[in-house]
Amino acid sequence: MWLVVMFDLPVIERAERKAATAFRNDLLDMGFEMSQFSVYVRFCSGPAQVENYCNRIEKFLPEGGKVSILQFTDKQYERIISYKGAAKQAAQKPPDQYDLF
Amino acid sequence: MIGRIVEIADDKRHLFLHRGFMVVQASDGERKELGQVPIDDIAAVIANAHGISYTNSLLVALAERGTPFVMCGANHNAAGMLITVDGNYNQAKRFDAQIAATKPTHKRLWAEIVKSKLQQQAAVLEAVGQNATPLNALAQKVKSGDPDNLEAQGARKYWTMLFGNDFRRDQNSGDMNALLNYGYTVVRACTARAVIAAGLHPTISLFHSNANNAMRLVDDLMEPFRPMIDLKVWQLVQHGETDVTPSSKRALVHVLYDDMQTNVGATPVMACIQKLATSLAQVYLGERDKLDLPLQGLPLDLASSFLDE
Repeated sequence: MWLVVMFDLPVIERAERKAATAFRNDLLDMGFEMSQFSVYVRFCSGPAQVENYCNRIEKFLPEGGKVSILQFTDKQYERIISYKGAAKQAAQKPPDQYDLF
Repeated sequence: MIGRIVEIADDKRHLFLHRGFMVVQASDGERKELGQVPIDDIAAVIANAHGISYTNSLLVALAERGTPFVMCGANHNAAGMLITVDGNYNQAKRFDAQIAATKPTHKRLWAEIVKSKLQQQAAVLEAVGQNATPLNALAQKVKSGDPDNLEAQGARKYWTMLFGNDFRRDQNSGDMNALLNYGYTVVRACTARAVIAAGLHPTISLFHSNANNAMRLVDDLMEPFRPMIDLKVWQLVQHGETDVTPSSKRALVHVLYDDMQTNVGATPVMACIQKLATSLAQVYLGERDKLDLPLQGLPLDLASSFLDE
């Protein structure tokens, strides 16, 4: 399962910018990676984990602005078509359970 | 949750924490970022090379999550492990219960573990087409505390039946032994994490009594899972893979994610290890009588991989 968090937050006032940065950092602390500006993604191993992260995001929501959490199955996520410039990007697979560096 | 195993196998690596991620950089040249892993998803970090550097904040973040950081020697054996001192919210109560447990309790629990190990060894022999009857017979005869040392008797038969008469289990030789060392190191790291997370002290053992071993309980509890690694090593050797390579390591790590049969259905080996440690804490606290051990038989994927051959 993949979670995609999309948000539009007000950044006019200094306090608003601070709140927006804090929300962004909260997402990073939870292990969400930036996919694009204001779009963050994370792989979850099951429904329990999805619920856990949704609850945690709810706690960090900033005042004002709009936040949407989308859920994708691995298959749906693989079928996303992405371009960088004019070049088509490879499909993204779920992370392997063994990482070798 | 079943976490990811991250291994650092190259000398020129620098690891550090950035927000919720462990970031891996190449430490030579221009410090290129090689990848990042969400730190909450990591089950264990295995440092299996010599020139690795890491920041203190990374080690703190791993310890805070109860994630072991394992340092391996040249023979792929764990030389040391960094784990948290604060693994469970009522750890103190559980330590007390663990220390107060009587000798008969420890002996009875050790018999359960030996029986389970012999059963799993028998299942492995069956899978490779050997006669499993002697080990199944031994499993039936295990008495409290294993006074006849059936574990050792079983091992003598088992190793020669599995790997032939010439095989010697030797932690410092290469070939199959190195593969076994590596597989056991991974299982040991997972077991250590499970023991700590269950609020148990890793040194207070059921059976292992080496005064220099700080992980005696871990070595007790991982026994029933060793045969899973043995079988995978056997398979690798059949396919001509006798060296510790990235692909053989990947195969060994993946054993942890294979499903074993339990009372509540198919459960990954890693989760079975966690259930065993938790059940031991519950026995100490008087909440249950028996350990939660997997049923006899092979993980489904391991067993089915024989059908392809």
